[in-house]
Amino acid sequence: MFDRTKNLRLSVIKQMEIMATQFPDTISLAQGVPGFDTPECIKRRVEKALQEKVVAKYSLSPGIPELRELIEIKLARDNMFYDWEKEIIVTAGSIEGITATILTITNPGDEIIVPDPTYTSYREVILLSGCQPVFVSLNEQKGWAFELKKFEEAITSRTKAIFYCNPNNPTGTTYSREQLLSLAELARKHNLFLLSDEVYKDFIFPPRSERIFSLAEIPELRKRVIRFFSFSKSYAMTGWRVGYLHSDESVIREIIKVHDSLVTCAPVISQYAAMGALEMAQKEVINFNKEYAEKRDFVCQKFDEMKNFFSYIKPQSAYYIFPKIIKKEISMGFPEEKSFSWRFSKWILEETHVAVVPGIAFGENGEDHIRINFGRNQKGLEEALKRIKKFLQKQKLV
Amino acid sequence: MKFFFKIILKYYLKYITKTVLFLHQPKIVAVCGSINKTFVRDEIVRNFKKEKKSIRANPKNFNTEIGLPLAILNVSSGYNSYRGWISPIIEALKAVFQKKFPKYLVLEFGISQKGDMKYLLSIVSPKIFVITDITQRYVELFSGMDELFEEYEYLAEKISKNDWLVLNYDNIKIRELAKRTLAKVVSFGEQNFSSEWRIAKIEKNPQGQKVSISYQGKEKKYQLNRFGKHHAFALVASLAVKNIRI
Repeated sequence: MFDRTKNLRLSVIKQMEIMATQFPDTISLAQGVPGFDTPECIKRRVEKALQEKVVAKYSLSPGIPELRELIEIKLARDNMFYDWEKEIIVTAGSIEGITATILTITNPGDEIIVPDPTYTSYREVILLSGCQPVFVSLNEQKGWAFELKKFEEAITSRTKAIFYCNPNNPTGTTYSREQLLSLAELARKHNLFLLSDEVYKDFIFPPRSERIFSLAEIPELRKRVIRFFSFSKSYAMTGWRVGYLHSDESVIREIIKVHDSLVTCAPVISQYAAMGALEMAQKEVINFNKEYAEKRDFVCQKFDEMKNFFSYIKPQSAYYIFPKIIKKEISMGFPEEKSFSWRFSKWILEETHVAVVPGIAFGENGEDHIRINFGRNQKGLEEALKRIKKFLQKQKLV
Repeated sequence: MKFFFKIILKYYLKYITKTVLFLHQPKIVAVCGSINKTFVRDEIVRNFKKEKKSIRANPKNFNTEIGLPLAILNVSSGYNSYRGWISPIIEALKAVFQKKFPKYLVLEFGISQKGDMKYLLSIVSPKIFVITDITQRYVELFSGMDELFEEYEYLAEKISKNDWLVLNYDNIKIRELAKRTLAKVVSFGEQNFSSEWRIAKIEKNPQGQKVSISYQGKEKKYQLNRFGKHHAFALVASLAVKNIRI
């Protein structure tokens, strides 16, 4: 019974959110939701679609043609050239696209290499597909960079793909062009797919100003790279569940079969929202980015004030900071928890009513860290960090 | 309130646009059809720019009763926000007094409901019309495909004999428009061998696609860094437009 699901676990982030509900004054910096509402122009595009009575029926399985055209145009601006008719699929959030892709490119028992730490749900999707995630640690000292040798050592005859998130969740760091090209060379040598989840790519913080490079820009890699994007983060649309994936026609024509079996098509009303996003909401994305950059500076300043307790790599993108707890000799209770970061997160929640995510949720290499979503509203963010600092001061830890 | 505001705005923009067009007399290429308008428009613009022509095209999807005038006036949209429209309304008026105006405009025509073509033609008089293709897309607000085609039949009948229709001959209904017009007709396509400008071959390669275009018995190859047949169609349509002297 339940063989397929017995090794799956409920996301640690969601567990933290559930635990947080026992305290009515909890400030949650746990779940990765943006601090903004969906822009008005997107809502109005949906209203128009509702009035025109075009949302009640299924769309074509790969998505509404106009939306895919807009996606092609958007991709071309970022130096990625894909045919909207045959190479782009609109998905029910990026996670559905990821699931469809892994089910397409693997056989049960295959392995997928995943950098550690990275987004929690990758493990579950890989296991659900009957495959095995193989975690390869990133180098924190080098700004959470790939270590190519470790990746090569992890490759076996069963390895099918390397699956990374760039910018990375939970670290907020990005991989350089050189690192990605080396990874591509490795993938070419061992005939692997490269799954690139780029849902945070629209957020770039100073001093960086150039856009984030994607391997999907390299024409020679089209058949190897499958790239995922979601409207959730860039356009504050997490609840709409809409995203897309793209790759070469030869890959997409297989993925579409699985996508069709899973969801038939992405929710049509959300596809119209996505059209509104691409047609009208670029100004909002710029504003979000500006606010996140300011919040990044604010949160870094606050962690600087606690620097004898936390160390951190300054985020360049996304809206997360992933500080490391450098003082570990703390009496916190929760002996039932093996993980230090779990114990610390529970302790902080119970004592300060601030929910954070234990680093272990993102892989073993994330242990001793916590993830904080600084994309939430400024008032809540200030109050949460004030509570943490005050509590740690009381414990004579900072 | 919203309805009345839209009506007032629509006519305000219309008459300012007509004034601007009267003052500057740009030559206009219109791209219409259900699909591929943006790619055709971009390819035409690229060709015009290669010839160092002063040109402007509609940004994004500014191709309807409100969007088209905004594109011509080079003014941004206030979308559905009353406050957001204050600046565009002022900017539109200022556009009357602008000295620099492009010699050519390449404009998408968005036809999504009955009467759209008539209204857009009451604002602008293009010298060239490209009809990319007519499909089920945007048929929702029409009673059916026949009513949608009536929009294009109106165009074919309305266009003057000195102007040009550039038609996709792969679509039999579009081909029939040639019989209903006094305008000069240029045809393009892939499957129909009677097309003057014809896609003879498309070869996909890692860098994009090599497209062979045949015209007057001669074939020429073009390497595109884009993927998809629609880019080959955009290329062939734009070459047909480029060959017309207006």
